Amino acid sequence: MNPVKRFFRRYVFSTVGLLALLLAANILLVVGLLLISEVTPPRETFSITAFCGHLTQGPDGWQADAEATAMLDPGAWAMVLDPEGNVVWEYQMPDGLARHYSAGAVAMLSRWYLEDWPMTVWAQDDGSLVAVAQPKGSMVKYYLAMDKSYFSFLSMLLNVVVYANVLLIVALFLHSTRRVEKAMGPILNGINSMVGGKPVHLREDGELAEISAGLNRAAAYIVQKDNTRADWIRGVSHDIRTPLSVILGYASELEENPALPEAARVQAAVIRRQSEKLTGLVADLNLTTKLEYALRPLEVKQLDPVELARQAVSEVLNGGLPDAYALSFTEAAPGARLTVAGDPALLSRMLANLLHNCVDHNLGGCSIEVMVGPAQAGGCVFTVADDGAGVSADKLRTLNRGAPVASTQAPDPGGAAEHGLGLRIVQQIVRAHHGRLSFATASPHGLVVRVWIGGSK
Amino acid sequence: MSDTDKTILIVDDEAELLEMVRSIFTRAGYSRVLTAGSGAEALSVCAAGHPDIVILDVMMPGMDGFEVLRQLRQRSSVPVLMLTARGEAEDKFTGFECGADDYLAKPFLPRELLFRVQAILRRTSPAAGHTVRLAAAEVDLENAAARRGEQVSPLTAKELQLFRKLYENAGRIVTTGALCEAVCGPVWQGYESTLATHIRHLREKIEANPSKPVSIVTVKGLGYRLDLPGAKGAAR
Repeated sequence: MNPVKRFFRRYVFSTVGLLALLLAANILLVVGLLLISEVTPPRETFSITAFCGHLTQGPDGWQADAEATAMLDPGAWAMVLDPEGNVVWEYQMPDGLARHYSAGAVAMLSRWYLEDWPMTVWAQDDGSLVAVAQPKGSMVKYYLAMDKSYFSFLSMLLNVVVYANVLLIVALFLHSTRRVEKAMGPILNGINSMVGGKPVHLREDGELAEISAGLNRAAAYIVQKDNTRADWIRGVSHDIRTPLSVILGYASELEENPALPEAARVQAAVIRRQSEKLTGLVADLNLTTKLEYALRPLEVKQLDPVELARQAVSEVLNGGLPDAYALSFTEAAPGARLTVAGDPALLSRMLANLLHNCVDHNLGGCSIEVMVGPAQAGGCVFTVADDGAGVSADKLRTLNRGAPVASTQAPDPGGAAEHGLGLRIVQQIVRAHHGRLSFATASPHGLVVRVWIGGSK
Repeated sequence: MSDTDKTILIVDDEAELLEMVRSIFTRAGYSRVLTAGSGAEALSVCAAGHPDIVILDVMMPGMDGFEVLRQLRQRSSVPVLMLTARGEAEDKFTGFECGADDYLAKPFLPRELLFRVQAILRRTSPAAGHTVRLAAAEVDLENAAARRGEQVSPLTAKELQLFRKLYENAGRIVTTGALCEAVCGPVWQGYESTLATHIRHLREKIEANPSKPVSIVTVKGLGYRLDLPGAKGAAR
């Protein structure tokens, strides 16, 4: 999936997750608070039934024990009305209040207030009514009554409003995200393309037109810079080829001319060898530049890696390998009929570079073995091993880290930098094929290079 | 007519390179070497000299090598080897599309150029009654027959194809795949064991001792090499 799309998808998912988390947190908070309030009630509240339990009717009328009067808050008072509405018992009842109440007055005070005292009432078995007045302002009384169908309508309305709000929030959020994605997507894709070395041109409109324009300028600058560099290298490599052909041609002629003194022929051979090195360097420089700037797209085909390796080895042998070197080829699984997808020209070049690296690294000669076989993860593995000098542990670590290197040749004693581009090209080709490259020390000495191509990563 | 009697036309705008290539062929024994410094001159020399092969530079001022080849192909099927200073794959494809027989990037080694020219000549204009002399036999390419002493053995079509492929690359290793492809075409996988049988039959016809071959040599794991008497094989 495109990394930009992946980013926005993750963004949407994470925001939806955050909303869900918020909802869950609210539910937990409410449930938690309710539980806490159940476990620790704020204080002991007045209970009219408990108060009635301490009120008794004797032959001398109604009596309240000390516990009953203790239940009343300061400023509260109490009375008992007989079925006719007369006050038959009272406790701390203000003098200004009536001692007889009509049925209407009883109905009013039992539900609301009596002279601003919030009232709590309880009917006794004999028809008497116990009424307790709480201190003024200590209690709020509301009365809610409505038609049932209207109440159902209100409930439904409440649900609709809540759900509609949730949906609206999600829709607005997605819309807003889409807008941001629409504006930011091309810019992020552009940056992504620039990282991959691809050309970028964004439309310079909308709120982020300035950023798009800036990115276009940066991309154009990079392309121009890359093209200039690539053109320069291509031009130099082109211009150097014809003079090199003449030098190589005449040097070879002189080297093979029996009429010349031996010393002159040896010198001609040196010129020829150095020219060949220069030839290889020019070709490598050209190829590494093309791979670096993606100027050479892969021409992927289904190919037989065994035959590819045979041809690479044969090319080296046909080119004339000095007697100090022995080069052999082994098919790890004869008859396995391996097939991998790859660019045949580049993979041949990779093997040629690995073989030339063995030769260049072991000037005194060595045995080189090339092996091709199926890889465990699919595809194939090329192995190029030599029994030469090998490389130091530090160099091996550098090679396996994938850091750009030129060759396994040790730096000159004088401290000159590494030269040649052989292994750098190998790294580039393996990377272009999404393959894997590893270097190891051979036993008892030498270097083993393995390249996995075409398998699952 | 031997290869060295063939007429070679070299076309390049670089006078020194032209002279160097001429020198390579002259020293290799070719007596008829023509040169041209431009595309237009190449066309007129071609019309007058009827070369057997043209070595044509791609990048020339005025008419480039591809254009020369296009015009040449309208009236001649002379084999053409393209030389280029660019080495771009696109150039190679354009060259082959225009009808080039081979393609060599500069800079090149003289022996590489010689080998390619010889291979093209062997492939495209086998001389009438051309016979290849081997250590123990002669192979008559025209009549598809091998003569060992007084014994004449006909070669099958596939044996002849294989021998031609090896002969075109004499002294060089030809891989198993390349030989199979020469006989079967691009889809050759699975033909390796049949190839070994053909090679065995060929050896029975051309080797003094087929179990110790000296002409068609097996290069372990890679393929085969045809060694001609007196010529030192490049690959050992």
